[in-house]
Amino acid sequence: MLGVCALERTELLRGWGRTQPVMANVVELDGTPPSSEIFVRPGTIARGMGRAYGDAAQIGGGRVVTQPDDVASSTLAEGVLSAGGGVSLDSILSAYVPKGWFVPVTPGTRYVSVGGAIAADIHGKNHHLEGTFSNHVESFELLTPTGAMRVDREGDPDLFWATAGGMGLTGVITRASFKMIPVESAYMKVETRRLDDLDSLMATMVGSDHKFRYSVAWIDCLARGRSMGRSVLTRGDHARLADLGGAMAGDPLHYQAKAVASAPPWLPGGMLNTASVRLFNEMWFRKAPRLREGEIQRIPTFFHPLDGVSGWNRIYGPRGFLQYQFVLPDGEEEALRRIMEEIASAQVPSFLAVLKRFGAANPGLLSFPRPGWTLALDIPVGSTRLFGLLERLDRQVLEASGRLYLAKDSRAKADTIAAMYPRLGELAAIKAKVDPDGLIKSDLSRRLGIL
Amino acid sequence: MFDALHTPDNVLVVGGSSEIGLEIAKQLARRGSSKFLLAGRSLEEMQRAARQISQVSERAAASVSVIHFDVLAEGATESLLAAAKAELETIDMAVIAVGALGNQASDEKDPAAAERILEVNFSKLAPAVLAIANQMATQGFGHIVVLSSVAGVRVRRSNFIYGAAKAGMDGFATALADAMIPSGVKVTVVRPGFVTTKMTAHLSPAPLSTTAAKVAAETLRAADRGKVTVWVPPLMAVVATVYRHLPRVVARRVPF
Repeated sequence: MLGVCALERTELLRGWGRTQPVMANVVELDGTPPSSEIFVRPGTIARGMGRAYGDAAQIGGGRVVTQPDDVASSTLAEGVLSAGGGVSLDSILSAYVPKGWFVPVTPGTRYVSVGGAIAADIHGKNHHLEGTFSNHVESFELLTPTGAMRVDREGDPDLFWATAGGMGLTGVITRASFKMIPVESAYMKVETRRLDDLDSLMATMVGSDHKFRYSVAWIDCLARGRSMGRSVLTRGDHARLADLGGAMAGDPLHYQAKAVASAPPWLPGGMLNTASVRLFNEMWFRKAPRLREGEIQRIPTFFHPLDGVSGWNRIYGPRGFLQYQFVLPDGEEEALRRIMEEIASAQVPSFLAVLKRFGAANPGLLSFPRPGWTLALDIPVGSTRLFGLLERLDRQVLEASGRLYLAKDSRAKADTIAAMYPRLGELAAIKAKVDPDGLIKSDLSRRLGIL
Repeated sequence: MFDALHTPDNVLVVGGSSEIGLEIAKQLARRGSSKFLLAGRSLEEMQRAARQISQVSERAAASVSVIHFDVLAEGATESLLAAAKAELETIDMAVIAVGALGNQASDEKDPAAAERILEVNFSKLAPAVLAIANQMATQGFGHIVVLSSVAGVRVRRSNFIYGAAKAGMDGFATALADAMIPSGVKVTVVRPGFVTTKMTAHLSPAPLSTTAAKVAAETLRAADRGKVTVWVPPLMAVVATVYRHLPRVVARRVPF
């Protein structure tokens, strides 16, 4: 008996966008206590690093389960890593890159837990070739109201693919085994290309993304007219020993990742306005080379540039921000263009818009990626124009058979999400088997009516 | 739940036939709030309000229920909270728009009538607001909007019974905002000047008079920003602050 209730503390929680604060009872899981002690009314949900933008990893007035970032308890055998649900990719990279192993998928931040990576079925710059994180998972252990169970990808595909992308709604992932990838160095060989408009960007990505393991484009969402879609495309591969020279060659697996700066604890709202972001985007576009090949970059520089500034989400001020990320299937390029035009003409001060090509989808019932184009942009909360704008964007995404990413969502309506994810009913049926009393809930599931 | 733009899903309007309450509900419905519970004395007026609310919502029509609620009645708050739990699951936002102006001249001569004005506007209303706040504390979030009045900022000779009640409620609600910070519940106190509504139809408008729609818009703007107090129109903040600090001999001679 672990007496988890004794360790419970009340905490103000919110997502990375800092928009929907709620008080919840947080309890850190230690071992695998009886399910009856973990899952309580009005609801229980797991929380990893808190990097979901909205309300996915919280439940107001309910219980939020966290787990230790304990990489020391992980084991690597034949390229398969077994790690606890609370272990972060940050810790895994620090522990295993020096041994020559890299995570199969990393998103734009390394502050993601293994449990969160599966629950949100995260993708990275290699999705066009290698799919999502869950594609590389062999099995995981799931704590549910009906008990703890091992879920094998082959043995229990229903529960596996309900949990992969299931936003934590089937239980708490306490451990997972997934394939790591061998690397010769802790460096990346990078190609950087500046593109003047959306057409040339898309043509380049369609034409040659397959030649690079990793690819992503950064778009200036304020640019309009002929410059719409002007962007910097960075693509790369893990550097091989032969690519390195000098000191790097002497210590090819030297890996160090830490924040070099920190956003002040309190910043006023309105620092990011159309003028300041336009200036930033202009400078950032101008400083990019038209074409640079064979540049050697460190892993954090290539994959996790924003992690260099801890608490960067605070620069959006007290009202926070949201991230709008959607995917449109191949063939809907015109819809993508219309949506980008709408965003550009609304002049929402968004920097850091990211365009990426997705490869094949996986069987995850709520998994987000599907073949096509995904665009993600950060938008500060504040302008009343957002009410109408985001609704219009939702409609256009839906009409183009696209969908929104639940890990980023903080404002879509239940009917919109139900139309985008027609397999919600299958998820509900599988969830009902492991959670017959409906004890697993999050603010996101309540907001979207996912039961 | 609230979304990232601070639009609530479920809204309770106490004083469900209030024009300002209705305007706030309509503007929320336009933004996407989906469930409303109107609580008030006149079922007929609330049903009319319910139709208006469900008509303005752009997407699938908002669902609006009504429940009889008289703040003076025994056990009214308990039944209100029970209904809210059944209809709304969570009370994301509660708009407190209960109020009665009374008739100063005759109420001065009738202490029982004066007592009723004090109860409706303050002494019976405040415990009801407290009960809602505690319910929200249990759910870990929520936002209470209390309609106060400039009449409560400095109580005036011309309507001191109503004014004193509003002063009490204003002080109660603003301090409640501080008290609720650790529980994740927010309180916004709205201080409109003269609002042209049916409650004031028999009076001639005072300077800086405003409309229910403007009060609603400013209220939601302030609530979105998490502000504790908001004046409508904003200039009223300056006027009321000056007036509050006038020497009594001067204030007594200000003709409104």
